[in-house]
Amino acid sequence: MNVSSSWKSNLPLYIGAVILSIIFFYPLYVLILITFVPAPLNNLSPYPPQFPPGFTFYNIIQAYSALNLTGPVVRSFYVAMMVGGLSLALGIPAAYGLNRIGVRMANKFIIFFFLINMMPGIVVAIPISVEFLKLGLSNIYGVALAQELVVLPLSIFIILGGFRALPKDLENQARVDGANLPTTMYRILIPMNRSAILVAFLISWMTSWDEFTYAVIISPVRSTFPVQLYNYVTRAVSFEASAFALTFTIPVIIVAVVLQKYLKSQSFTGGLSS
Amino acid sequence: MQKSHNLKYIAFIIPALVYVSALSIFPAALSVYRSFLTPGGSYTFSNYSALLHYGLEKALIDTLLVSIGALILQLFLALFIAMIMVKPFKGNRIFSSLVIIPYGISTVVSAFIFSMIFSAVGGYANSFIVDLGFRPIDWVATSSSSLSVVVIADYWKNTPLVALILFSGLSGLSPSMYEAAKADGAGAFRRFFSITLPNLAPIMAIALLIRGVSEFNIFALPLVIIGYNPPLITTLIYEFYQTSSTTIYYSYAASTILLFIIMGYASIVLWKGGAKTYER
Repeated sequence: MNVSSSWKSNLPLYIGAVILSIIFFYPLYVLILITFVPAPLNNLSPYPPQFPPGFTFYNIIQAYSALNLTGPVVRSFYVAMMVGGLSLALGIPAAYGLNRIGVRMANKFIIFFFLINMMPGIVVAIPISVEFLKLGLSNIYGVALAQELVVLPLSIFIILGGFRALPKDLENQARVDGANLPTTMYRILIPMNRSAILVAFLISWMTSWDEFTYAVIISPVRSTFPVQLYNYVTRAVSFEASAFALTFTIPVIIVAVVLQKYLKSQSFTGGLSS
Repeated sequence: MQKSHNLKYIAFIIPALVYVSALSIFPAALSVYRSFLTPGGSYTFSNYSALLHYGLEKALIDTLLVSIGALILQLFLALFIAMIMVKPFKGNRIFSSLVIIPYGISTVVSAFIFSMIFSAVGGYANSFIVDLGFRPIDWVATSSSSLSVVVIADYWKNTPLVALILFSGLSGLSPSMYEAAKADGAGAFRRFFSITLPNLAPIMAIALLIRGVSEFNIFALPLVIIGYNPPLITTLIYEFYQTSSTTIYYSYAASTILLFIIMGYASIVLWKGGAKTYER
């Protein structure tokens, strides 16, 4: 765009960018320090140094051998998969229907979904947990069912954006050629909309991986990774907890950065454009 | 003809509608109803009066302070970040990725990081302050410093989202507007206040709505960082919920209050600024 943007004219821009980068990176740097610096040199000293005085893998080894965190991570994984799957099972039909009923009416439904989404998590979670206890759902299945509430509106919105970008006659042509609706869905509509569906699945997955409120209220024992991490942090076994937190944060960061690339070109706004 | 045609497609939406209603409108209504019940099942207002006794006012005020503080900090810094992100410069991609990262980090993990930075003994913030030659601060000693820690942690976690929303708004503004203003002799400040801000207002309203509501519901961060000391409205609700089967009725009452505050806030923002954008 601006060809004359030389190094010098951009100096304030660079200064701003560097300062903001440092501010945003510092907490992550602290997590790395706590994980890899031997504890006696670190948090156990009254004023831990800002630069690493030593290096160790002891904290990570200790975390994996002493703490029972693999169970929660596996459970988190299952819950995230269930939430992602439910998003598609409920979201694809809903988005398909919304795409067919005309933009004005569809937007009314979308506004309704997003208003519902504003309902405070903790307000909804407590009665749900009381009812789920009666139904025998005070476990990770109940957590998955409740977390779905958080991600469903956005999933529908994203998938709808994908459907709206497809040519309108596509479905009609398939129907004229004799394909019934389920066949059209499986063979044509879903494959052609796969990138939006993938984004919806990944966002649902990541949201569930991170979700804490519903998880801690509905299933405080034998729960997901964030709840277990919270339990360890409050019981002050922080080096191990941080080592664990770091190793399971890295994959999520990678997913987030990859997703961010998708999102820029993807149909986040497609659902509203008519 | 058209009507019945539509009805067929609405059938596809019904499962999602039923699901969302069953798991949100129904529990919320249940919460409101039970807030007027005693554990024995008779009607009462005592749950609400008990809340006043347990410090509801202070929790509400503290929640309000955290929300306003976090919103101002987030909007201001996110605007700054978004304005850097739209500029084409070398290193833009690195900067964008770096600034997005906190959004991908689990809330509990980021709460944990900030509790390590701001712990009174062995905290990184204090070692920095001591290096500079000042006296260390006991961050959790007073309620105002505890709340500031929550605000800072929240800003780190959530500014990326606001920045992304504002970025999408900024990249939609046409460069010709700026060129025209430049040709007419408008300086950088003038361009910012007369073009950028007014054009960004609708999308800022959306960001304000989304973040404001979640700000008021902030739960995991204060629970991990400061516990119940001082309690915010959500941690107060959680504490009542955990304590006993009697105090759970207090948490229903507090939930009802929170629910009405959120509904009030959302309708004010939608009515004042966001309505036009939402209808579009």
